[in-house]
Amino acid sequence: MAGTFAYFLPAAKAAWDATGAIVRVTPSPTDLFTPSPSPSATSTPAAAITGAFTILLLGSDDDSKFNSDHVLTQSMILVRVVPSTKEVTMLSIPRDLYVHLSTGGTAKIDGAYSYGGPGAAIATVEQDFGVHIDDYIWVGLLGLVKLIDAIGGIDVVTSNPVMDDYYPADIYSSWPYDFQRVAVLAGAQHLDGVHAMQYVRSRHGDLESDLGRSRRQQQVLIAIRQKAKQLSPEDLPGMSQAIGGELKTSIDISKVARMLPLAASFDNPDSIRQIILASPYTHGGAPGGSLYPNWGLILPLVHQYFP
Amino acid sequence: MMLSRFVLAAVLVVIVAFGGTTTFMYLSSKQTHVAAPPQKPTAATPRAQATTLPGALYLTQSGAIYRLTAGRFHQITPEAGWSMPSLTPDGSQLLAVKYGQYWSDVYTLSLFGAPLRQITFNQARTGMLDPSLNHWIFYPRVAADGVTLWMTYDGLKCDGCYDVSPAIYSMPYGGTIRQARAWTDGGYYSGGDQQPIPTAGGAIYTKYDFGDKYDANAEHHISAMLWFTNRAGSYGRELTTPGEDCRTPSLSPAGDQVAMVCTYGKQVSYLTIASWNGSSLGPRTNILTSLLVAQPTWAPDGSGIAFFAPGVAAGPFQLWFLPREAYTPRPPSPPPTPTPGGPHNGPLPTPTPPPPIPPVQPIQLTTSNGFDATSPMAWLG
Repeated sequence: MAGTFAYFLPAAKAAWDATGAIVRVTPSPTDLFTPSPSPSATSTPAAAITGAFTILLLGSDDDSKFNSDHVLTQSMILVRVVPSTKEVTMLSIPRDLYVHLSTGGTAKIDGAYSYGGPGAAIATVEQDFGVHIDDYIWVGLLGLVKLIDAIGGIDVVTSNPVMDDYYPADIYSSWPYDFQRVAVLAGAQHLDGVHAMQYVRSRHGDLESDLGRSRRQQQVLIAIRQKAKQLSPEDLPGMSQAIGGELKTSIDISKVARMLPLAASFDNPDSIRQIILASPYTHGGAPGGSLYPNWGLILPLVHQYFP
Repeated sequence: MMLSRFVLAAVLVVIVAFGGTTTFMYLSSKQTHVAAPPQKPTAATPRAQATTLPGALYLTQSGAIYRLTAGRFHQITPEAGWSMPSLTPDGSQLLAVKYGQYWSDVYTLSLFGAPLRQITFNQARTGMLDPSLNHWIFYPRVAADGVTLWMTYDGLKCDGCYDVSPAIYSMPYGGTIRQARAWTDGGYYSGGDQQPIPTAGGAIYTKYDFGDKYDANAEHHISAMLWFTNRAGSYGRELTTPGEDCRTPSLSPAGDQVAMVCTYGKQVSYLTIASWNGSSLGPRTNILTSLLVAQPTWAPDGSGIAFFAPGVAAGPFQLWFLPREAYTPRPPSPPPTPTPGGPHNGPLPTPTPPPPIPPVQPIQLTTSNGFDATSPMAWLG
């Protein structure tokens, strides 16, 4: 979920990689990725990326209720960055979307990661949506909280009050099935990690449930990107220490330096396109409360913005 | 400047790659600036300066209420969950919300922060076992009559469902919550009705609801709208459209203008004003679009509007002030006067046009605080 750090996280990862296992980063799974056509082909490592690329952001509940190797991805967001036109498109994939999994069978798409890790999540999205994914970033609950705190919080215009009487109290509680009341009020405000997490994770008080929180997740991603532009090199060690083992990514070090100049170059909020696959792109009635995709509408949309 | 930062970052990555642990440890010893915590208003430097606001302004940070008078902050409550101060109509007392773990209550305080009376009691006896049994109250305001307390209250929660949409309530200021009555229904799984502003005969408030319920052309997502209701139990009526996405109304001292924040459904937050005739709003004017504005509050003497906004991009919220001249139409400029001179036979000299008047800019009053931007300010004249 918190993955839009794509703009700045590469720098942090470079520091982490070089200084030794502060963050558990999955080795670049070259068997999972076809070569990235434009970015990876550049011969000068420090040259800014000029070709478009697509990243799959994955966010999971990874508290003690779950086996750490078999978590669901409650949040799946495709992000396409087009440096030449300074356009960013975010497409939230409903976690309950009923699809063919790359590992076989049909199920909610959030299960792909639990069956086969990031490779299966990527392969499932690629096969069902007909897109090419260059890289992925996965983050857990505490990782998002810690990251937002490490960057000093974010400014978000929260679109609506988020009131939830049954918000999971599973991050800091000794009993992960406990719940708590939360109230994140509306309007422009500075959110710390805990409250940002409450804002993007809560769904009980939203008539749109998972779709509603997908909208909120995109708002927070935009805010994280905005804050990323303020980061300087001396912020990176603190960030790496803060996030601990809560992040995995395939972004390799050669891409790191080339992504950096992008962070400052996207200034126009109107250049960020936000897509939610609500009705008529999806509709209920699928097994287990999942959503049927309307591929006849989804695929043209995806092909338009994720060519 | 920003570009050079990232160039620097790129260089650092290379250095780290070759420098390893030594570089990392060196950098770890440096103080990060993005995560620097806000200072308490009473300790912040520089102190509020440049413009001294009239009267006393009450605002909150980290659960404490601060009073700003004569350019200096004074902490009047401990950091104990205090928020949302407002003033009684005669200006003799404060009202404020105090948060508990899963509830919030309204208190009356002296102007110097001493609690005088707890008005509501929203902590459920078994509320720690079942948090949903507790209640929230937000944005208390006493009407001009001095006897009616308005607030946002989640008193319409149903058993066995998840909806916690609060509604607009009123109750006798000297009474109990049992005497409270709902003026609105709070909507349905949308965030409810918030922040009532008492007016003559009713209240303006912010309704959060799905915009396409009210405008067939609006998208199906939750928008904010200003609404007005003048009868308990009625739905009231819209003052702004879902597309404008306006919220947090503030009534001018003369009662003829409303300041609000409008976002147009984006991650922007414009300061907007409109005339108010007691039942409807006039055309909206966006008077500030360059900042992420929150909680606009009119100066009691009409000299301007205070608000919260980040001091730096993506930073904590600071106190700002927009002088009246920024949004009040200026008198027409006098016609240019000819340059004086003696009799001559040639053409008259070209009149010298007056220099253009620079636009009035908002004034940032603090630089290193972190005010609660969801908590309105109270301003005593």
